Amino acid sequence: MRAILVLSFVLAAQAADSALIAKGAAEERKSCVGCHSLRISSTQRLSRAGWERELDKMVRWGAKIADREALLAYLLDKYGETVPPAPLPLSSPGAR
Amino acid sequence: MKLSSFKRGRRQLLASAVGLPLLAQTEGKPLVFPGKDAMLVHNDFPEDLEAPAGSLDTFLTPVERFFVRQHLPRPRVDLAQWRLTLRGMVSRPAALTLDDLAKLAQHKLPATLECAGNGRGYFRPRVPGLQWTKGAVSTAEWAGPRLADLLERAGLDAKATFATFDGADTGAGQTPDFVRSIPMRKCLHPDTILALTMNGKPIPAIHGSPARLIVPGWDGASWVKWVTSITAVPESDKGFFFATAYKYPKRPVAPGGAARPEDLETIEAMPVKSIFTSPGGGTAANPARFRPGSVPLAGLAWSGENRIVRVEVSADGGARWLDATLGKEDFRYAWRLWRHEWTPPGAGYYTLCARATDSAGRTQPIEAPWNPSGYLWNGIERIGALVKA
Repeated sequence: MRAILVLSFVLAAQAADSALIAKGAAEERKSCVGCHSLRISSTQRLSRAGWERELDKMVRWGAKIADREALLAYLLDKYGETVPPAPLPLSSPGAR
Repeated sequence: MKLSSFKRGRRQLLASAVGLPLLAQTEGKPLVFPGKDAMLVHNDFPEDLEAPAGSLDTFLTPVERFFVRQHLPRPRVDLAQWRLTLRGMVSRPAALTLDDLAKLAQHKLPATLECAGNGRGYFRPRVPGLQWTKGAVSTAEWAGPRLADLLERAGLDAKATFATFDGADTGAGQTPDFVRSIPMRKCLHPDTILALTMNGKPIPAIHGSPARLIVPGWDGASWVKWVTSITAVPESDKGFFFATAYKYPKRPVAPGGAARPEDLETIEAMPVKSIFTSPGGGTAANPARFRPGSVPLAGLAWSGENRIVRVEVSADGGARWLDATLGKEDFRYAWRLWRHEWTPPGAGYYTLCARATDSAGRTQPIEAPWNPSGYLWNGIERIGALVKA
């Protein structure tokens, strides 16, 4: 019985995390793309303190972040310092 | 310079006109940049494009392969309306057209342009910023009037200590304008020019058309693009991109530590460095692969304001070094090609290294000093190579 309770608690916490991260993904699309595409965020791998500093800088530069907690949770989940970096994409040759 | 509608990119104008976020126009679209060959994409808007190391195999880098760093979205410049304003501590302020500049004596030189953050991706712990590897560096032949001639023509006040440069690019919201100051001693150097051409042709829009400041040997941030004004001033600019960004600690900092603000200095000339272009890379997990026999190794070496006098190559992780053969193009401010014919003693795994020495006797460290913004990486490159019969 106790094990079921603990398991339920863990699953509920994970679902809450997933919901927060999903909200953060939406927040990124809303608040960051006015100035740059999101590719630049995806190449970073930063600690919580590192992402906090980046968000502070972006707010100083005019970003309107409605749900900072969700955005931070999303950035740490996807681009935190322990997440292995993905290889950079190579563009296709453009018209000359 | 603040926003005026004609200077805003088409993408920005469209987005604001229809109220759409810019992402909607970049996400999921193929990564293609007109006028550019295949490039490593750090960002597509604004464009931050790294040259794959293997593509940097010529003394002059074709525009198609030349790396791109944009701090702010690329402006759309109307050449007929464009003017270069000379002002500040000058007795004859002026607004010059492109034709006015083209009529002045033109000075031509090859010069290597390297982003101060080239190699940032190698620092551990990681630091924020574009995670450049090797290819935020390229070389072109630049031509245009000398900055000293322009300042003299405007009647420069001898008491001015800096010139401050602004371009047509502007950021959205409260994003600071990209403005840089250059000390007068460098402004008045006969090799500092306002380039109108790059490899013999008008500078392409993505590289700063119609006029780009060339500050030979100095970091890329000094090479202001789309220049619209030059202001002679008694002190340097107080904006973010000069007073805060592109600073390097004068005292070594422990990895992951912080520098004291009073220890931060503006980056000027770049350090000595070399890279391999053939092979372009190789790690223990994914080594460059060769058959036994002669293996042509090649690469590049450069050193800010100095010449390269020696490049050595090692195939055993630095236990034994052999001189590489230097390319015939030997210019101050421009990289030097090098090559070395390596004959592996047999099958096995090898660690290839290269290190350069410049005319001031400087050579490369094993590891570049960690610094909070990840600038000036010039550690000795190590390439994993597997020779298999």
